[in-house]
Amino acid sequence: MADLILDDLSISYGSYKAVSNVSLTIPKGEFLTLLGPSGCGKSTTLFAISGLNHATSGAIRMGERVLFDGRSGTVVPPEQRNIGLVFQSYALWPHMSVAQNLAYPLKLRKIGRAEQDERIREALELVEMGRFAERYPFELSGGQQQRVALARALVYRPGLLLLDEPLSNLDAKLRERARVWLRELQERLGVTTVYVTHDQAEALAVSDRIAVMDTGRIRQLGTPKEIYETPADAFVADFIGSSNFLTGTVVGGSDGAASVRLDDRTVIRAKVGAGGTGENVVVAVRPERLQIVGGAGDNVVQATVQGGAYLGSVYQYELVGAGSTFRVQTSREIADSQVFVYVPPEASTLFSAQSRPQA
Amino acid sequence: MTELAAGSPAHAGRDRSTAIFWTVSILTTILVIGPIAPIILQAFLDQPLYKPEAALTAGNFVRLFTEAGMGRIVLNTLFFAVVTMVVAQLFGSVMAVIVGRTNLPGRKWIGEILIWPLFVSNLVMAFGWFTMYGPSGYITLAVKAGTGLSPWNLYSLTGMSIVAGLSQAPLAYLMCIGAVTKADAQLEDAARSAGASPMKALLSITVPMMRPAMVYSAVLNFVIGIEMLAIPLVFGGPSGIHTVTTFLYDQGINAAVQSDYGIVGAGAVMLLVIVGLLVWLQGRLMKDSGRFVTVRGKASRPSLVDLGKWRWVAFAAVAAYVLFTIVAVFAGIFMRASVSFLTPLVPFWKLLTLANFELIFSQPGYIRAILNSVVISFLGGIIGTACVVLIALVAKRSEFRFRRALEYVALFPRSLPGIIAGLGFFYAVIWVPGLDMIRGTIWILIAAFVVRYIPIGFGAIAPALSQIGEELDRASRISGGDWWTTVTRIVLPLLKPALFSSFALLFIHFFKEYVTAVFLYQPGSEIIGSTMLQLYAQGDNGPVSALATIQVIITALFVFMARRLLGAKIYG
Repeated sequence: MADLILDDLSISYGSYKAVSNVSLTIPKGEFLTLLGPSGCGKSTTLFAISGLNHATSGAIRMGERVLFDGRSGTVVPPEQRNIGLVFQSYALWPHMSVAQNLAYPLKLRKIGRAEQDERIREALELVEMGRFAERYPFELSGGQQQRVALARALVYRPGLLLLDEPLSNLDAKLRERARVWLRELQERLGVTTVYVTHDQAEALAVSDRIAVMDTGRIRQLGTPKEIYETPADAFVADFIGSSNFLTGTVVGGSDGAASVRLDDRTVIRAKVGAGGTGENVVVAVRPERLQIVGGAGDNVVQATVQGGAYLGSVYQYELVGAGSTFRVQTSREIADSQVFVYVPPEASTLFSAQSRPQA
Repeated sequence: MTELAAGSPAHAGRDRSTAIFWTVSILTTILVIGPIAPIILQAFLDQPLYKPEAALTAGNFVRLFTEAGMGRIVLNTLFFAVVTMVVAQLFGSVMAVIVGRTNLPGRKWIGEILIWPLFVSNLVMAFGWFTMYGPSGYITLAVKAGTGLSPWNLYSLTGMSIVAGLSQAPLAYLMCIGAVTKADAQLEDAARSAGASPMKALLSITVPMMRPAMVYSAVLNFVIGIEMLAIPLVFGGPSGIHTVTTFLYDQGINAAVQSDYGIVGAGAVMLLVIVGLLVWLQGRLMKDSGRFVTVRGKASRPSLVDLGKWRWVAFAAVAAYVLFTIVAVFAGIFMRASVSFLTPLVPFWKLLTLANFELIFSQPGYIRAILNSVVISFLGGIIGTACVVLIALVAKRSEFRFRRALEYVALFPRSLPGIIAGLGFFYAVIWVPGLDMIRGTIWILIAAFVVRYIPIGFGAIAPALSQIGEELDRASRISGGDWWTTVTRIVLPLLKPALFSSFALLFIHFFKEYVTAVFLYQPGSEIIGSTMLQLYAQGDNGPVSALATIQVIITALFVFMARRLLGAKIYG
């Protein structure tokens, strides 16, 4: 097993650039997630690694082995890449039983009958599906099909495991259980894994590192904690944890902190984000970090309650204040229509207004 | 398995797949271009194309358009095609709505009978109509005896056009019934909850959604009208009314001394251009049909509309239509085959005889025709299905650079009238050195039939192919299978029902085919259709009917077995 390297990878369809200049090194054994909204190029990248999509330029290597090189025109067909892939729809072959599904890649590798049986048994035990070997795919539930699909992708011991939103067809409860189980399995096998999802909670829960993608580019690459705590730009801040954005202008600051005059002339302090700033900025702050306080003070803005919803564990209110609309989550119900909101400077990050995602 | 050793990738040859792509594409192109090239060449030669001294000329077209009566023939053809289309669409669509969506008594049975004519050639239909409604037909004479009037004259342009229209109505019915019964029930439910009555919802929502089916089948029927041989031959021949097809037939086959190659070539090119334009037009008209695409795969079928007290009125009308245009036509053939002389004036059981069948079974040539038809249909069905599935797999499921072009070429025979396909293959075998070998054998017939009906087989296989998710192929590729392994091990097994359907459809089409064969058969390779035409020309109506009866019986047996044993879907 070796590191997977994407080198300046681009994928175009005609004049449309689906993936632009993506470079990534995924060390062996790592669980890396490509995270982003639909159409961001994450699945396109994944399928280019598998060889089922054709990249336009750049290179894909596994250790020394070149899988794709745009310059020399090397394209290794998917069947020679020895990669395991779990599809969103599982893609189990309906005319074959579970055992036959698993035997197929082994037969293509000319593996002897006895070893085939042994490997199939092992792989099915691994996903706790040993009892279902003789069943046909249509006789299995969604969760069981997903496990069989995983077993089929692992049974021939691929150098790399690719997962294309494998949990998105499961119901919410099962999805949460499955992601824990998936992560444990991956750690046990130590197989290098690239995982594609649009679900940020899933990405945060399972990944060693996350690459947040948007419009074909990697916006930020980091551990789940880095991505959540120090988003690189307003897009990442919005996509992970759906931040609020308060608009304003910079009026001073030092040491990575700045004073910002919000649209209602209140001045607050905030950290300066990685993306640099300009005169016009947005202050990103997550709804759960805002606090309702008794009266005016430092970093406090006044706001009017527009509406609210009870979400079970918390209340979420929609507020208008400081020239912006924003959300706040609290454990207590708000009775008044006018409130004071404390914006913690350590939880507020400044980005240039241009980088703010369009709603 | 806690320690994952790097497995070795499966070995597979990419070259194997590429070789298959090219072979399939080149063979398809040769087979499709094969019959067309010599026709176009012949149209511009002043001598038969096998003569070395033949020189290029445009004279054939000049002669074609200046020859006395040619304008008349073109007008006849257009009139005939338009009336055929209008009559077929009118009856077909009305029947589809009534049978498909109302609580008409006996709708199941009526629906079955309505598609009978699709299983037989319009040669059989023409003969049935002639036997019953011709100038001395059984029903014609019965009406004449009852009323003293001469009720109709089918030996006229209008008469034969209406016969053709009624013969083609089942095709329009088949296309429309699919549209009205597979419509998403929720669309009508939405209209109901918006305040529409069941009938109103049907007429204002579902019926307009038949438009793509109507456009598609209308153009199809128009094209069939233009290229139809049997009905204009049987009904127009005696009174000297010609269409382009009967003109080509006469010039090519029946010309007293030597057939006029130049005129035939030019006429064929003209026909090819007209039909090509129509098929192109069809494609254009179908372009925005996404507006009418309903959600598929819904379990809920639209409910039936209660006709109330009109139920039996509708039944009487529909039953009369089915009785007089379908049952009577088939009955005419069966009756004529089993009597020495068919007339309403003498009870027909007094004239019962087996002589017609005895005649057929006493002549080796006639028996051979029947055997040839069965062999050609059976082998052709298998060969055709194999060709079509290969083409469909390359066109729809490969990364071959020219896959779109391949599909285009493979579907081109839609614009290739049967008479042209036959003529083209005829020219090709006398023109291309070496092909003389298969001249006059059943193999040239199989080749011509397969090429002509590639689009029919494609129509049975392509939709089934698109139902098989592409992830299944992709999963096989990533598991280590190359293209050929993937399609043979994953796609083909899943495609099995569609392969049977394609085989059954091709069998039926080959078995009823006659137009394509008229220029190609020779003693020894005659088929039922060509023999019927021959017998008809000699005026032997009894044996013609006996042959037609045998053809209908074999077809019925085949359809029954194909549905039972193969589970083949034939027309619904």
